[in-house]
Amino acid sequence: MSLMIFGTMIFLLLLGFPMMIPLIAGSLIGFVALFGGFGQLDTMVQQILGGIRPASLIAVPMFIFAADIMTRGQSANRLIDLVMAFVGHLKGGLAVSTATACTLFGAVSGSTQATVVAVGGPLRPRMLKAGYKDSFVLALIVNASDIAFLIPPSIGMIIYGVVSGTSISELFIAGIGPGLLILVMFSIYSYIYAHRHNVPTEPKSTWGERGEAVQRALWPLGFPVIIVGGIYGGIFSPTEAAAACVLYALILEMIMFREMTVKQLYATAKSTGLITAVVFILVGAGAAFSYVISFAQIPQEVLGAIGIDQMGQYGILFTISIAFFVGCMFVDPIVVILILVPIFAPVVNSAGLDPVLVGTIITLQVAIGSATPPFGCDIFTAIAVFKRPYAEVIRGTPPFIVMLLSVAVALIFFPQIALFLRDLAFAK
Amino acid sequence: MKADDDLRQSRDQDVPAEVQTTVADDDIDDSQYVSGLPGILGVVDVAVARIEAVLLATGVLLMALNTMANVVGRYALGQSIFFTEELNQALIILITFAGISYAARHGRHIRMSAIFDALKPTLRKPLMILISVVTAAAMFLLTWYSIEYVSTQASRGRLLPALQIPVWWIIIWAPVGFFLTGVQYALTAVKNLIDKDIWLSTSTMEGYDNTGEEEV
Repeated sequence: MSLMIFGTMIFLLLLGFPMMIPLIAGSLIGFVALFGGFGQLDTMVQQILGGIRPASLIAVPMFIFAADIMTRGQSANRLIDLVMAFVGHLKGGLAVSTATACTLFGAVSGSTQATVVAVGGPLRPRMLKAGYKDSFVLALIVNASDIAFLIPPSIGMIIYGVVSGTSISELFIAGIGPGLLILVMFSIYSYIYAHRHNVPTEPKSTWGERGEAVQRALWPLGFPVIIVGGIYGGIFSPTEAAAACVLYALILEMIMFREMTVKQLYATAKSTGLITAVVFILVGAGAAFSYVISFAQIPQEVLGAIGIDQMGQYGILFTISIAFFVGCMFVDPIVVILILVPIFAPVVNSAGLDPVLVGTIITLQVAIGSATPPFGCDIFTAIAVFKRPYAEVIRGTPPFIVMLLSVAVALIFFPQIALFLRDLAFAK
Repeated sequence: MKADDDLRQSRDQDVPAEVQTTVADDDIDDSQYVSGLPGILGVVDVAVARIEAVLLATGVLLMALNTMANVVGRYALGQSIFFTEELNQALIILITFAGISYAARHGRHIRMSAIFDALKPTLRKPLMILISVVTAAAMFLLTWYSIEYVSTQASRGRLLPALQIPVWWIIIWAPVGFFLTGVQYALTAVKNLIDKDIWLSTSTMEGYDNTGEEEV
């Protein structure tokens, strides 16, 4: 049965069906096979509705809404100016600024796609003018935007947390370490690249200009203060932090800056609602799928077939990493999380692995896979945004993928990269 | 070419990427929506589209208000709102099911279109019809069983503990949303059969927004 379920799902996915259909089809086959007919399909509906109900999922639309209000204004440019004022004059400074701005922007918005546009949009022309090759620029933007996945708020982490029953607060804090490590590696690579290709440096900013840039960027930087500070300090749950971000963004954009009208607020709410619906129907269908495959003991069957019991902890972590990496090369990250997390859940529990570590590894793999050919979805975002052909967008990616994979391996052998801050914050 | 496409085209061409913003691209102007249906059906379709949009936007605004009020209440006044969680559950169900048919209408459901886009138009068209028909069938099947589920819940007469309203009031959106989504995909199949172009939804012709996948 598992072969039929997964075969049908992959087939439908690759043909280009809306992604809810493979999930629904997979659960349908499961329900019909398990219960000998269509008699239990109202249970499937019940599971779909139950899947979208958990209170912690409310953080998803709230974070999307807050970021959507905030990023309609000037926040991306302010963050870019801030970073440029401090590191722009170094060798490779523009590239380092791009990576850093992606990271900072990731702390405001959890979306890699928004990061590609908001940070890559203004910085790509400047980098090209400065003499960077387009293949390097595109690869840097696509891969650095993936840091946004690891830096809280992260939609992928919220969904992993809900599906696996892991603390979202702990996941958020654990994502910061690997995110910053990737930023450091990309910065070093940019520095070496700029040296080897002799890219000229930018003029150095004065301290007066720096002060002004800090002042202008202070408002968007309130987001990470609320999210990380609020969660780290034990004040907010992720959903409360998300609501506080919405409140903060509304006060800024509607009352203080008066940049957003009521009409724009309405349009923003509608666009947030649309994105939410498209994700939540997947989450609902994923819950039905997860219900039926665990009922049919399919995870045990699949895991038994690959002999996961003899692998030991490192073997299990590598298997999980590879599965998520390969999955995201083809399919949207959220769908991969919804399908694979329930499959690996039994072995994560029985091997006594830390679910927060597993979640961080999965989030990292999901981010890497999304930027990896053939079908990583961020590649297609870049194609659409920058109007460059596929071959050009992927040409510069290999060094970045190598760097990202080395962080992934490091994370498996040195889990403290992720868990250090978590342990500090939650006194473990 | 209608509605969405006109907007997108006027925005995209000759405008350097750096001055475009992604969020503006996400906005759909409902006053520009032109139904693909003739006569009275078209009027109904436009009305439904408007209602979906209003439900989506007000749903999100109410949810934000509700969640923010709860946080402010808890930290400023030391008191949580007792119905916040239930109201949010009701709203997220409403948003999801109003949104799936709105997304179907505007061709915004996430799909992996890389292989699809690489095919010849002569293959893409029948494939699009197949996708629409199968998706519509799945939606109608779920409509049927969600009606069954909702009526079972209604017959039990259970109330939500805090809000004291019947449970079925908040889940009734599921069959409605599945049905309207099914209708949209069925119409997309018809549209592709009678029109020479390839349509991703009743109002979106392919080719103008090739992001293929939308990420959140």
